[in-house]
Amino acid sequence: MLNSLILSYITFVYFGAFMLYLLMMVTGKDFFGRLATFVTLVGLCAHTIAIILRWVESHNLGIGHAPFSNLYESLIFFAWTITFLYLIMEWRTKNRTFGVFVMPLAFLAMAYASFSPNISSRIQPLIPALKSNWLISHVITCFVGYAAFGISFGISIMYLVKRLDRPEWKNIFLRVIPDLSILDNLNYQVIIIGFLMLTLGIITGSVWAHSAWGSYWSWDPKETWSLISWLIYAFVLHSRFVRGWKGKRMAIFCFIGFSCVLFTYFGVNYLAGLHSYAK
Amino acid sequence: MRPFVFFGKSSMNEYKSKKQTNIIWKFFRSVKLTLFILLILAVTSILGTVIPQREGIMEFARRLNPDMFRLFISLDLFDMYHSIWFRSIIGCLALNLIICSIDRFPGALKLFRAQPRPDRKKPFENLPPEQTFIVREKQGKAAERVSSFLSRRFKNVYTAGDQNSRSFYVEKGRFAHFGVYIVHSSLLFVITGSLLGSFFGFEAYVNIVEGDKTDTVILRKQKKPMKLNFEVRCDKFSVDFYENGAPKEYRSDLSFLVNGKDVKKMSLLVNHPVQFEGVTFYQANYGSVPGKKAQLKISRHSGKDDEITMLIESGVNTALPDNKGSFQIAKIEGDFMRMGPAVLISIQPDKGDEIQFWVFKDSEMIEKKVPGMLGRFPKLNPSAFKPYTFYLDDIESKYYTGLQVNKDPGVFFVWAGFFLIIAGFYVTFFTSHMRIWVHLSNMKKRTRISIAGTSGRDRVRLDRELTHLTGNIKELFN
Repeated sequence: MLNSLILSYITFVYFGAFMLYLLMMVTGKDFFGRLATFVTLVGLCAHTIAIILRWVESHNLGIGHAPFSNLYESLIFFAWTITFLYLIMEWRTKNRTFGVFVMPLAFLAMAYASFSPNISSRIQPLIPALKSNWLISHVITCFVGYAAFGISFGISIMYLVKRLDRPEWKNIFLRVIPDLSILDNLNYQVIIIGFLMLTLGIITGSVWAHSAWGSYWSWDPKETWSLISWLIYAFVLHSRFVRGWKGKRMAIFCFIGFSCVLFTYFGVNYLAGLHSYAK
Repeated sequence: MRPFVFFGKSSMNEYKSKKQTNIIWKFFRSVKLTLFILLILAVTSILGTVIPQREGIMEFARRLNPDMFRLFISLDLFDMYHSIWFRSIIGCLALNLIICSIDRFPGALKLFRAQPRPDRKKPFENLPPEQTFIVREKQGKAAERVSSFLSRRFKNVYTAGDQNSRSFYVEKGRFAHFGVYIVHSSLLFVITGSLLGSFFGFEAYVNIVEGDKTDTVILRKQKKPMKLNFEVRCDKFSVDFYENGAPKEYRSDLSFLVNGKDVKKMSLLVNHPVQFEGVTFYQANYGSVPGKKAQLKISRHSGKDDEITMLIESGVNTALPDNKGSFQIAKIEGDFMRMGPAVLISIQPDKGDEIQFWVFKDSEMIEKKVPGMLGRFPKLNPSAFKPYTFYLDDIESKYYTGLQVNKDPGVFFVWAGFFLIIAGFYVTFFTSHMRIWVHLSNMKKRTRISIAGTSGRDRVRLDRELTHLTGNIKELFN
């Protein structure tokens, strides 16, 4: 189908953008950065068109539904959200170095969706449990949350890398990364977005579960792991608000938090549970 | 940077209460305890996702050695989220949250109520140079302009000063101090709701065959039957499939009966539960059972024309062709002796004893696999009553609908909690108590204007607001 063909090409577009961002940081030439932003933007536009196309195609098949119903579609949307949030961040901070640390996530998600033999890109009809108005709001809030935590993970890596910098090295790569305090502050803001969206994702999921299964909370592995991620980020925010934990410790906890998010997303598929259609 | 320790010296804006000094209070008002509980909850929650909970225990238990099994049982690890120890951790979190809030709330209230002082000097210390500028206007005139500008943009403008200097104070988002308390109380709402649900609610299930009714459901946890105040009848169950065979829709048409009288009819779909007298019904699963009718073919071995096909209800006496007696279907089995659907035919001849034998739907296939087997046993021989041979065309099958039956009086609290979380997050993360001072000082024919501010957490937004305000006030004098 056309949409999945476009989407598999976008994988390479995002990889190209990542390489250009990297080239910018290694050579220090702004030209590559501008080109990278352009390539990313083109990729995102094509990505958006492909998602809309997929939606339209599903309607043409007579099983119309929002393209958020299985692992393939969720990975595509995950990559879209990461790229979208990244471009907003680049625009707001006027700094392109984040691209090197964030775009690989978008690229990997696309590559996994498009080229893993276990993932079918076919448009499948919705099973009764997924036929609900909550599907769209639940998936969007969760994945904006996941994407924000992914970006926070990228920023945390930048933070730890930047810490290694010594002025006497005159390393271009390290020099162009924003200052530690800026990274720390930005990380905090991104975590707030992620935490807010994860909370909304859990709430919408809970309300939905109540009407689909009769229970707003069943301690299903995916629910539990999303709660674990939520607890970790609640920990990060409290330690920062009240105890003033910043910098390296926060970066490390963002690693732990994002691993929990990844496990919520992928790892849970290896455990039995109610979310089995997301496999 | 401070070392990576949990129980180090406390720092930052911890509001110190002098009234309560008792040790329990001190223990529970600590944010270190909060952090510790959050981590403990996160780590212990993992266990229940790895160890099977409630269902699938036996499979798992067989792989454990007996000591481990006993340990798991004593720690309630097979139903850990409902165990006392896990609930105690949540209880500790709730207590910690309540006491922290009570302990700190007076501080927030004080900040909320604080009388503004327009002529403070402290905010102007270390003021960045771009927030001070000089205008070519006398102080009195300049103050008027600034005053009217500020009162257009802010609700209240507080002012103080004299001939030589004037100070203005404006603010935004006083309520931001309460954001955290809204979020925390919302969690208490959710916890209260879940407690109410587990004490005064129930979770049960029931399977109802099409056409049947029941007033008894089975409690999931206790595995005991429970009577409802009314009856439910399943009038019809239907399932639709997509072209690829995946299920499209399950639908149960239900009737509710009080004292044996139909009171209400409702259609139940997945994602569209129905409620009756505070009890909610959810479409959970479905299946089929053999119904009460079977289609039989009876031949008299004197040519094809002699075959008679009839649809017969189980237990109803039917005359044999030629009136040589009567028969009835004594039993209907969906899968008899692992040889497929079968009915037990009971014949009452005109003379002699009753004869009973089973008739299989797949008799031809059975005959092929084990030739002569059905003829060998009178109980399995479809021609046991001469001259008739019985054939089973089909058994009518009936759907049953599997319903989840719940009552949860706590759910309103949970929803209220969810609403408050969202409201609280908005107040906490998107508002902040911004306090802004504008100071005008007389420099003969000119006036020096300085703009300073403070904010709870949100330095970024404050800086944006100050830059904006500085630009606007500069424009007033152009």
